[in-house]
Amino acid sequence: MKITKKSIKSPIAPTWCPGCGNYGILRSFYAALEELELEHENVVIVYGVGCAPNEADFNRTYGIHGLHGREIPVAIGAKLANHDTKVIIVGGEGDLYGEGANHFLFAARGNHNVTMLVHNNWRYSLTTGQASPTTPQGTITKTTPEGLIEMPLNPIRTALANHATFVAQGYSGNFKQLKEIIKSAIMHRGFSLVDILQPCVTFNKDNDLNWYRDNIAELEDHDATDWQKAFELGSDEKEKFLTGIYYQNEEVPAYHEKLESLSKGSLVSQWTDDRNISEVIEHYV
Amino acid sequence: MSISNKTSFNWKIAGEAGHGVMLAAKTMARIAKRHGMQSFNYLEYPSLIRGGHQTGQVYADFENATCQAKKLDILIAYTQDSFEIHQDEITTSTVIIFNSDFGKAPQEAMNKWGKQITSMPLSSWAKETTGTTLASNTTSIGVSAYLLGLNPDICKAVFADEFKGKKELIEKNFKAFDLGYKEAKKVLKPILTVVPQKDDMILLNGNEAIGMGALAGGLQFYSAYPMTPATGLLHFLNDHKHQLPIVVKQVEDEIGAINEAVGASIAGARAMTGSSGGGFALMVEALSFAGTTEAPLVVLEAQRTGPASGVPTWTAQADLQFILTAGHGDFPRVILTPGTVQEHYDLGKLAMYLAEKYQLPVIIASDKYILESHQTMKTPVAQNHNERQSMAGKEDLPADESYLRYKDTKDGISPRSIPGQEFGLHLANSYEHDPWGFATEEGEVIASSVDKRAKKMEAILTEIPQPQLIGPEKAEVTFVCWGSTVNVLIEAIHQAKSGTMNIIHLPCLHPFPVEAFTKLAKEAKKLVMVEGNANGQGENWIRQQTDIKMDDSLRRYDGRPFYAEDLVKYANK
Repeated sequence: MKITKKSIKSPIAPTWCPGCGNYGILRSFYAALEELELEHENVVIVYGVGCAPNEADFNRTYGIHGLHGREIPVAIGAKLANHDTKVIIVGGEGDLYGEGANHFLFAARGNHNVTMLVHNNWRYSLTTGQASPTTPQGTITKTTPEGLIEMPLNPIRTALANHATFVAQGYSGNFKQLKEIIKSAIMHRGFSLVDILQPCVTFNKDNDLNWYRDNIAELEDHDATDWQKAFELGSDEKEKFLTGIYYQNEEVPAYHEKLESLSKGSLVSQWTDDRNISEVIEHYV
Repeated sequence: MSISNKTSFNWKIAGEAGHGVMLAAKTMARIAKRHGMQSFNYLEYPSLIRGGHQTGQVYADFENATCQAKKLDILIAYTQDSFEIHQDEITTSTVIIFNSDFGKAPQEAMNKWGKQITSMPLSSWAKETTGTTLASNTTSIGVSAYLLGLNPDICKAVFADEFKGKKELIEKNFKAFDLGYKEAKKVLKPILTVVPQKDDMILLNGNEAIGMGALAGGLQFYSAYPMTPATGLLHFLNDHKHQLPIVVKQVEDEIGAINEAVGASIAGARAMTGSSGGGFALMVEALSFAGTTEAPLVVLEAQRTGPASGVPTWTAQADLQFILTAGHGDFPRVILTPGTVQEHYDLGKLAMYLAEKYQLPVIIASDKYILESHQTMKTPVAQNHNERQSMAGKEDLPADESYLRYKDTKDGISPRSIPGQEFGLHLANSYEHDPWGFATEEGEVIASSVDKRAKKMEAILTEIPQPQLIGPEKAEVTFVCWGSTVNVLIEAIHQAKSGTMNIIHLPCLHPFPVEAFTKLAKEAKKLVMVEGNANGQGENWIRQQTDIKMDDSLRRYDGRPFYAEDLVKYANK
């Protein structure tokens, strides 16, 4: 059965704060899934832990609500077990750039065909407002009363430097562009990162909706095959956050395409009740 | 020296890392097996790539060779300090071959065992025949073959298999073997004659046996991060992955390893991971994740001396208390503790079945001693039949989408759907969840989830491996053990007078087989726990489960395994 904006809704209504950026992102996500005409049973969504990943309860799909920061390896395992499914990661930046940063680098370096949707609101909101890996330096939060000392992680450049073959930035308030980016990311051959900026109306009073409106613009006239240009555009010194696809390379085989054992079909489809290990045994005679 | 009536030998090679010690020992063990003997190859090596002191020792016997032996029949030494290090193992009849390419045997050694030491330029002979000193293990084996009255053709066949396809290399090694044999004949006399018998065995270590069993049991996915002594399993599966439809991968860290395996499992593949104590420690949160999502998962915990980085290449059985309780919250698990290499094969296969049927983590707790020692076992049947267990069929997935992944059932096992199956949608949730998988905070739902999972432990009791009584039914001393220790105790029974001792071996510690163990323990005159840790972890667990107290305990925690000779001495007191 094909996914529609209706069929994907679970009986549980979203519990996010009114005005949360996650509502906008979810709208774009649902629309993307519907427009791609994907079958319910062929989509696996792997969620981390945070406000955004709570949508595990609002969605009706095959879902895995994993541990904080560990959704990437779960997604990789699920994809390798059945690469005929689309595997999409829904996490916060705390999950994906903090607790699970090592897994992010590894997924990019292996070009695993999973789509990483990072709900990046510059706060750990579910635990009531601490700083996150992308909070601007100097920000005052409950755990950084002297002003945040660390510099923020740069997701665009980190992804590019670790050989990611699809790198994009979105914004929760730009429905159409985000929908198109998500569609491209899901259909991309290898690893795809979509970093999605969003306000947090409850814990980020520094950057309200007006701030986001004034400081975000769409990428224009950009050749997404130009890695150098993408890296330049991803600089920390920029006037505005630019949303769009920074880099896309369809030439690189996904990880699973390079496994001989998967050339005949997905791992799960190759199950047989009968297994002969004579070729293994003869080495130990 | 005269040809004895013994049908066994104890052979040791000692050198530095880089001298080919490990390969020589494994080859010797295989040669013994090809003669129809049981053999056991025990390796000791430091955590170094070059230098240090490495040894391999092979005990072979037609009746029983399940462990290493102390007193040596032959010692082949490449370094001067080998004599001091192994002085307690040398007897008045030990034949000592010293590799003279590494200098002269030290004066103290000559004073003590002068008549028994023969210096031979093993490396020069290797260079002469093959062009490289690397084949010194072949010349050593040539010498040993003469001393032990082994069949040269059988020995050479092993080298032919070792270098399969490389005709020139095989010819060269044959020459090296022949030279060692010929030179030994000039100056030494054989101490044994081995009459070859039928060989229906394979030789492999515990890691290879678990791997082989898991493959026989339908393993499809293995992810791991290298860590001694679990790395052998990762290497084994990588060696064979081109032969079967499996995915084997090294990952970024242990947390990635277990989470990948859980992801693969939830998506429908039979999955496994493995590590040693420190790596397992990193995996523990995800163990809890597998437990609550009821994802089938097999985990090898390859114990080594701890704590922390511990002593990486040495053995221990000191993680049991950790493994028993690892993972926060309440969820069922199985802990298997195989002893012999045969049992590692059997339980590797069984683990795949149990994990999938009962949808829970099955931890195989073993240790460096048996995982990295080679032991002979009967060649297993190659053809295996494994049916999928507890999976949702079409009848479980009606079109009205009423399927509930975690629906409560009589035995606690709910039919499991996997991505790709129509009408099987569900959420595998690390949060406590309702039958669909949605997160819950309702008291009733939380409690019933816990109860449903716990029910599986009752159901599984009928399928876990039972405690084994080994030896005579009545004995003066009953040794109780788990894991690799049984290998040493079996040999101890062979050495001891009949009726001195028997063994209760536990191949499964969780769930604990209370009834079966109590029945066996009641018959014992004196219960003695034997295990490789300082604080009696197995002993305490048995006490907790059964109220049965041990009369005494033998605990070893110096990185070394037990020796049969010491246990016999204890029993004879």
